[in-house]
Amino acid sequence: MAQFLEQIINGLVLGGIYALIAVGYTMVYGIIQLINFAHGEIFMFGAYIALMLVTVFGIPFWVALPLSMVLCGMLGMLMDLVAYRPLRNAPRLSALITAIGMSLALQNLARMIWSARPRQFPAEVLPTIFLSQNAISLPGGASLPYRDVFIILLALILMVALNRLIYLTKIGKAMRACAQNPVAANLMGIKTNRVIAITFIIGSALGAVAGVMVGLREVVTPTMGYYKGVAAFAAAVLGGIGNITGAMLGGIIIGLAEVFGAGYISSGYRLAIAYIIMIAVIVIRPSGLFGRSTGHRA
Amino acid sequence: MKDRLTPKNIIFALFVCFLPLLMYGIDAIALFLSHQDIYLGLPSGDYMLRIIVRAYLYMLLAIGLNIVCGFTGLLDLGYVGFYLIGGYTAGLLMARLGVSYWIALPLAVLNGALWGLLRGAPTLRLTGDYFAIVTFGFAELLFRIVKNEQWLIGGPNGLVRDIPPPAIFGMVFNQNWHNYYHILILLTLVVFIAYRLQHSRVGRAWVAIREDEQAAESMGIDVSRYKALAFAVSAAIGGLGGGFVAQFQVNISAPFFEFWESILILCMVVLGGMGSIRGAMIGAAILGSLGEVLRPGFIIPYQFGGSRYLIFGIILILLMRFRPGGLTLKKA
Repeated sequence: MAQFLEQIINGLVLGGIYALIAVGYTMVYGIIQLINFAHGEIFMFGAYIALMLVTVFGIPFWVALPLSMVLCGMLGMLMDLVAYRPLRNAPRLSALITAIGMSLALQNLARMIWSARPRQFPAEVLPTIFLSQNAISLPGGASLPYRDVFIILLALILMVALNRLIYLTKIGKAMRACAQNPVAANLMGIKTNRVIAITFIIGSALGAVAGVMVGLREVVTPTMGYYKGVAAFAAAVLGGIGNITGAMLGGIIIGLAEVFGAGYISSGYRLAIAYIIMIAVIVIRPSGLFGRSTGHRA
Repeated sequence: MKDRLTPKNIIFALFVCFLPLLMYGIDAIALFLSHQDIYLGLPSGDYMLRIIVRAYLYMLLAIGLNIVCGFTGLLDLGYVGFYLIGGYTAGLLMARLGVSYWIALPLAVLNGALWGLLRGAPTLRLTGDYFAIVTFGFAELLFRIVKNEQWLIGGPNGLVRDIPPPAIFGMVFNQNWHNYYHILILLTLVVFIAYRLQHSRVGRAWVAIREDEQAAESMGIDVSRYKALAFAVSAAIGGLGGGFVAQFQVNISAPFFEFWESILILCMVVLGGMGSIRGAMIGAAILGSLGEVLRPGFIIPYQFGGSRYLIFGIILILLMRFRPGGLTLKKA
């Protein structure tokens, strides 16, 4: 029972992380119909940047987290500017290959800078509440670390904030308009390129938060963007790519499925479960669980 | 290939045929110089020959991938899956069951084609991004399976050890120059098949599907059948490459068939120009040998081990930006 409860908690935490990454995939796809393979790498850079800020520069964790978001947002915008914007009118295959090239380049850049050695946030630089022994005891002997509570709450807050941003603000409206019809949006005086840049910034910043969250619980490696990125992409596909609410729910489902699959089937197939779900969804129901409700995707 | 036995072509053919001699000649020169206390630090002929064999193997795989990516215009991110299937089919048959290479190789090809069709069946209706994702997931799943299923593969991490070299009447082909001629023959065969296919009704149908699927269908082309054929042929060539690599490497394991290998082959096809056999070969020759030159410890220091793939990534980005048609084609 205790194990079951802990698995559920792990699944929810992982799901929250996946949801944050998946939102980045799905927002970009909603507007420019590009699978941004390099988004996983942005997520990985988020973790490394925060790690460097706290260890090398000695910046407190609570400052490093937003700083990492800002820097990753800029990285995402830069990526759009140099790689994707020139190909806006090119065949979609070209943009897809560029995205793969970007992912390859960034991943190996990280390997060159930080080496392939797995790293962790050292215990002394983290706020003490995040140490794994600080936990709430649950009935049945299970424990719920404060760290996990923080991750789930932060993910939830960011999701709600994103949702509000998209439905209540002017820029959100512009994003929805671009997702529906970029040409018409442009004719109405919306600066499409600026909206796309902002989409990249928001997606990348959320990805950076997810990266830091993974860094709190697991290790940081140059390949984490690739592995976690694919699982998050599976979440986006599951929720119906282009659909933000779908991506959030898809993230939770993939997170739970992965944790239970690893716990009860075989840990070697941890990632395979996400792949299987992804393939099954694409082949059986390409629009995803929640469909692509036009007008609500952004 | 309209050119016949012109002097240029004869010289080229002779050069290719006697490349192994040339490589061993380097060894002889280095040995001679070392007696005079001169050390040029030349790479050994055997090592060079292995690089050339590897480059030819990549040419073969690039031609195979080019059939799906270049001719029918579908982005296949999981080509390494068929390479893996060929490698493990031949490797397991030979190392575990003692099957002769000459039987295991055709079986590897057939198994590759079979899986090409199996993977093709559910993806026939998919286009663009979704097709790419499914192919990617397929290759990753296969990779996980060989990595985890020890009862099937035997060793940890998908290791199959001591794959015997091919032999005819007690003549064992395990020298590097044997492998050189071996891959040369296979490559020639594959180039011939791909070339004949490209210039036939089938090749024209593939290109028509690439240009406009609906128009092709309305012209009476059975899109599903031609796509399935492209998947099967492409996968069979991947299986062939895998069958060869099993005996070439002697030991194979899962890291051989990682996802990035797919991307590397894709890089070759894109670099040379999608849809062109010659382009795929040029791309494979450049990246196949560049990959060896950029291997850590040769020119690049060890601590920058990942820079090889960093350069491949940058090549992809720059090509798509400035020359989407690749090096050999003028326009996209």
